[in-house]
Amino acid sequence: MAARPATPASPKNVKIKSAVPGVPMFGCEHVQLLFSNSPDVMNSSIQYYKMLLRVIFDNTPIIPQTSKSPDNVVKTSLTSNYLCLQCSTIVSEEDRVKHGSKKSHRFYVDSRSGALYCQFCEDFVWDPTLEELRVRKIGTGSFSSRKRKHEELFSDSVKDDPRYISANTAPASCKADGLRGIYNAGATCYQNVVLQSFLHNPLLRNFYLGDGHPNGSCGQSYCLSCAMDDMFQEFYALENTNGYTASSILSGFWISEKKAFENLVTTKEQDAHEFFQFLAEELHERNGDGEKPENGSEHSCDCVIHQSFYGKLQRSTTCQNCSGVTSAVESFLDLSLGLDTLAQKRGKKASKGVSLTLQECLDEEYIKSDKCEYRCRSCDSMQQARRDNSIKLLPNVLSIQLKRFEFKQGSRDKSASKIDTPVHFPLTLNMLPYTTRGRSTDTRETIELGRSCIYDLMSVVVHVGEIDTGHYVSYCRVGDQWFAFNDHRVELATKSEVLSAKAYLLFYIIRSLS
Amino acid sequence: MSSSTTGKAGVIKAADDAGSMDKLTHTVLDDLLYNIVHDLLIKVHRDEKIARAATAAIRVEKLASDASDSSLTTESRPDIKAETDAAVYDEGRTLLKGNPLETTKDILCPRCYLPRLLYPTDGKGARKPDPSIIYCKKHPYIDKPGYDIYGQTWVAQGPGRGKKKKDMEKKVETTPQDTPGATPTPEDGGGGKGGAASRPPNVLSFPSATCVKCKRCILVTRLNNHMGSCIGNSGRNASRAAAQKISNGSSNGNHNGSQGDGTPPNSQKGTPLPGSRASSPKKRDSDDVEDDDTDNDSHKKKKLKPSASNPPKKVILKTKGGSGSGLKKEKVKTSSLLSVEQKVDDDDAEGSTVEVAPKKKINKSASPAKKLKLGVSKPLLSSPGTTKNGKTAKSNGAGHGGGDDGESESSGTLSSPPVV
Repeated sequence: MAARPATPASPKNVKIKSAVPGVPMFGCEHVQLLFSNSPDVMNSSIQYYKMLLRVIFDNTPIIPQTSKSPDNVVKTSLTSNYLCLQCSTIVSEEDRVKHGSKKSHRFYVDSRSGALYCQFCEDFVWDPTLEELRVRKIGTGSFSSRKRKHEELFSDSVKDDPRYISANTAPASCKADGLRGIYNAGATCYQNVVLQSFLHNPLLRNFYLGDGHPNGSCGQSYCLSCAMDDMFQEFYALENTNGYTASSILSGFWISEKKAFENLVTTKEQDAHEFFQFLAEELHERNGDGEKPENGSEHSCDCVIHQSFYGKLQRSTTCQNCSGVTSAVESFLDLSLGLDTLAQKRGKKASKGVSLTLQECLDEEYIKSDKCEYRCRSCDSMQQARRDNSIKLLPNVLSIQLKRFEFKQGSRDKSASKIDTPVHFPLTLNMLPYTTRGRSTDTRETIELGRSCIYDLMSVVVHVGEIDTGHYVSYCRVGDQWFAFNDHRVELATKSEVLSAKAYLLFYIIRSLS
Repeated sequence: MSSSTTGKAGVIKAADDAGSMDKLTHTVLDDLLYNIVHDLLIKVHRDEKIARAATAAIRVEKLASDASDSSLTTESRPDIKAETDAAVYDEGRTLLKGNPLETTKDILCPRCYLPRLLYPTDGKGARKPDPSIIYCKKHPYIDKPGYDIYGQTWVAQGPGRGKKKKDMEKKVETTPQDTPGATPTPEDGGGGKGGAASRPPNVLSFPSATCVKCKRCILVTRLNNHMGSCIGNSGRNASRAAAQKISNGSSNGNHNGSQGDGTPPNSQKGTPLPGSRASSPKKRDSDDVEDDDTDNDSHKKKKLKPSASNPPKKVILKTKGGSGSGLKKEKVKTSSLLSVEQKVDDDDAEGSTVEVAPKKKINKSASPAKKLKLGVSKPLLSSPGTTKNGKTAKSNGAGHGGGDDGESESSGTLSSPPVV
């Protein structure tokens, strides 16, 4: 039996996943037979499976979607074809049985999902070894798990997490799944929604549950990061299902001496986005290199906040006279998208039922260029210039603020009003068009590159009510299930509910991590 | 292709006499629909089949380990062979037999090895669980209007917490859901008696939390306001606003103890604490501990209730002491008498002293170290205290102590609406 055969012939790491308690070794008896046949067969099968996955995911789908029937009719279909694992044939679903009985080839790969189909079982089979390859391919586009720069940083703690827990503590209850509400401590819903989105952020969760912030040895009194640590413990280690009282967060918030956020620290209702910035800065200072993040600078550090939220923006200015380009790179915590101008443009065209899409807003900001006057150094005079913004480095968690407020022109006093224009946002967002690289590269590379720019919606913060008073609610995704958080209330939410919400803040997470 | 009127799903059909473009469109749409359903299905299939396969593996491994346990030591595991309908355990490997979707009907939790409850116990799609089975604690989430995912519901927030009268009436009418045990004030405790008992188990009330600074137990819904007045620094908008609103800024007391005199005790809620803190931190610390204890186990009524009748002292006392000149305890004591009297006068206007005071009282009495001093101050203070109670009651118009609660709180809550 070739449980874990030494395969000296292949230097590549083709081996069956070692036995894990609670998981069968193979997807079905027939895969077991195939893999146990001989090390060579197993080796080539796995290699071939990888190759098929590359065909499916790395190139245009036209190749796997095109099949040749036994009577030599070539047909391209929208629905799944099946790629034989034992030869190079691609068959349609109808011809699969025929091919199987003729060649006695029994394993096929679905041309759209890469899933393995076993003709003996007449069912899809989820073999642990092959499935891991498939999931990785879909996620990172590569079979090794080190594609993305920062991933290692975080996947380490993922791997350590279960072991760490089982070795040192009693396992957390199965009931502790991090789904709890947070009580409103009096106009603190703007904090609650941000905290919830942090709580369901896998990067932050792994950081804190992986003992990222040494709570015990942290000398700082009223440390907000310790408070976060406590909160993560409360959410993911205890069985409690009632609301959480974020008193330590709140006191840390009150005690904080941040000058920039002085106006935020009141008993009044506040802007959730501002609180998000506050919390991010505060946590950065507690965990990071101690340097204050300056707005607009190209600051980067290794702290969990920077690794999660911060990306880099490239602003380039092109002189219209000499075509000289000056560009500056700055780091950003979130993307703020203005709605007012776009909404007004739309408003002129169609008086009612104005709605925008998130992509339109991003287009406006990061694809379209605007003109400005600037002093060109080479021309040494004021010149017309074109300004382009693009994203140089995408963050792992992309936070987007939709600026749902506008200041009425002419009036100096704060007469801000809220823009209620619905903005449609997708569950899956491709950021490639807005990146610096995405502009320049040709389509050949874009499939590969595009995959690393795919983001999945993680949480949505919604503001209801008027500009100066109202309520915040949020939606967060856990696995594939969405939950609605309204202070201490946690309810199930449907995708359509989430997508029809009038979002204020959106948090997208890079797919290769989620 | 265009000859057929529909795609693989066969749901979106073109008319037979439709043009070829029409047919093509229908075919494409139909295929896309098929793909969507296919993708959804394959996702569910994957989750389910992997879970069932794991269940089969867990079962057979359990069997194997049981066998090895009974026969020899645990070291002999690799020799053990076990077999169920769904899987084989052989030489340390777990192998499936057949399709787990057919051989295994339930799902075991991979962590606790208990069977998973497959249907919610309430709400949409609910089924009655088998009472003889101990299920894994991870239950399917409940989808029921008015209830959360765990089937819990909450105490509705009282109608405008500032309103004392209505609040009181409600409580008296034994509406148990109306913030019972929510406020650790004696008045509330008295009113909400029996609330906890008559409440169904899945109805939760608002808890209280301890303020890190003054260690008092504060109803969670008021925590932010409390911290605003307790921690809030000068220069913060909040305290400024508060200072303007109520002509005594709580921040004043906090920052420059000397200004404390200008802190009339109108808003007892916030004022005394910062003041006291500034004056004598050490003393506070010892208080804090006790405070914690008392508050924690007396969230609800009983412990606090008797204290309601007790007069206020330390708090006020401290404010004065702190604001005055950081006197030592004995001195404070003497001065406190004065201060209390003063306060009583002031209070008549606002009628809000009471709530704070009793709490401090508890601490004092609980602290053995200070018993002596207390002994002195107690009798002295008790009379003003009672009168105060009476007065506040009058000012409320409602003959109940609960009124004090509402009022005193309102001084803190004024600035912002309770629900956000």
